[in-house]
Amino acid sequence: MTDNGRTELTSHGEAEELLPWYANGQLDEADRAIVDAHLSSCAYCRQQLAIERRLIKEFQAIEPKIESGWTRLRGRIASDSQLPTVRAPRPTRLAEAWGFLTRPAIATLAAAQLAFFIVAGSALLWLSRPAYHVLGSPPPAAGGNVVIMFRADATEQDIRDVLKSAGATIVDGPTPANAYVLHVAADRRQMALKTLQANDIVQLAQPIDGGGS
Amino acid sequence: MILSGTLRSPGAAAISSLAADDGALLARVARGDLQAFERLYRAYQPRLTRFLSTLLKRPHLIEEVLDDVMMVVWQTAGTFRASSKPSTWIFAIAYRKAHKARARWPDPVEEPDGDNRTSEEPGPDEAFHHQRRRGLLMKAMDNLSPDHRAVVDLTYFHGMGYREIAEIVDCPLDTVKTRMFHARRRLRQAMSGTVDDWI
Repeated sequence: MTDNGRTELTSHGEAEELLPWYANGQLDEADRAIVDAHLSSCAYCRQQLAIERRLIKEFQAIEPKIESGWTRLRGRIASDSQLPTVRAPRPTRLAEAWGFLTRPAIATLAAAQLAFFIVAGSALLWLSRPAYHVLGSPPPAAGGNVVIMFRADATEQDIRDVLKSAGATIVDGPTPANAYVLHVAADRRQMALKTLQANDIVQLAQPIDGGGS
Repeated sequence: MILSGTLRSPGAAAISSLAADDGALLARVARGDLQAFERLYRAYQPRLTRFLSTLLKRPHLIEEVLDDVMMVVWQTAGTFRASSKPSTWIFAIAYRKAHKARARWPDPVEEPDGDNRTSEEPGPDEAFHHQRRRGLLMKAMDNLSPDHRAVVDLTYFHGMGYREIAEIVDCPLDTVKTRMFHARRRLRQAMSGTVDDWI
């Protein structure tokens, strides 16, 4: 084989390998120049390019219907209570307590994710209280019975309005996950939860006193 | 609340223009912004579902792995470095998670008949041939190895270049080219006869 023949074979192989990305428009200038130069003299590769373009069309025409699992994932985030790594690390004492707490919780409540969230979430909130809150300290005047998370862009005014409309008061928080504990009167808790959950600025509002929502 | 929608390939130009937006969303996610995460999720969930369904043949695993992938994104968004595109970073997580899932749950030996990924299109003869071609194509895809399917799907559907694919599947550039070359040959063989109708 002559040098010319070998060079042509190499450029043919190189160009043929690049055809799929030539067809989808993702080659850089240098690669595109190799393929352009080769295509002008290779009928086989021109034919292959036509097939590549057709394959792209075929693949892109497949439209599976996909259901959103956002609600499911949001629930998992709430129950997971883990923060992105860039945020401030959880205090060591809390991390240890959390690890201790979740082991038996997972073992005993694996089938009841919501119950796990309520129990572990309540404990996490209790544990996340400031260091000066010693065991002998008296509990807050009104016990928290709802945990809530607001959207990041909610204004103070938005938060005030929604709390007033639900008849809720903040008794604790923010927790490391930016959640707050609310108190609502027991006899209007159901209605308050509905009001909170229907508001756009509320990402999550759940009872934490063991009752259903 | 369950929402549903159909998936369309975003196309190469759209993918690159989305990269900056996705980077900004990731930065907000790193600060714990759940609203930004929801937007990111809604942008990626269809594409990741499609990609994972190419790699995993057990439907229940697709949903599970998708959630695992997005949880990693939520928890480690702060570690994303702009040296690669957000889509590259997220798809690489998906590829690794799918690999691990397949190690736990190998692909079933036989697939049930029918292919629910194919959309129904009305029309008589042309539609019939179209369906047949697509059916052959999907069957040919199923017969490729997961690594080959990944490269094919990332190229033809997700419109990615070979450099980005190499980053996602964590292998040399030449390996991506070789996998694609062999996959195309297998696809063409499986489609022989019908490919001539295309050109």
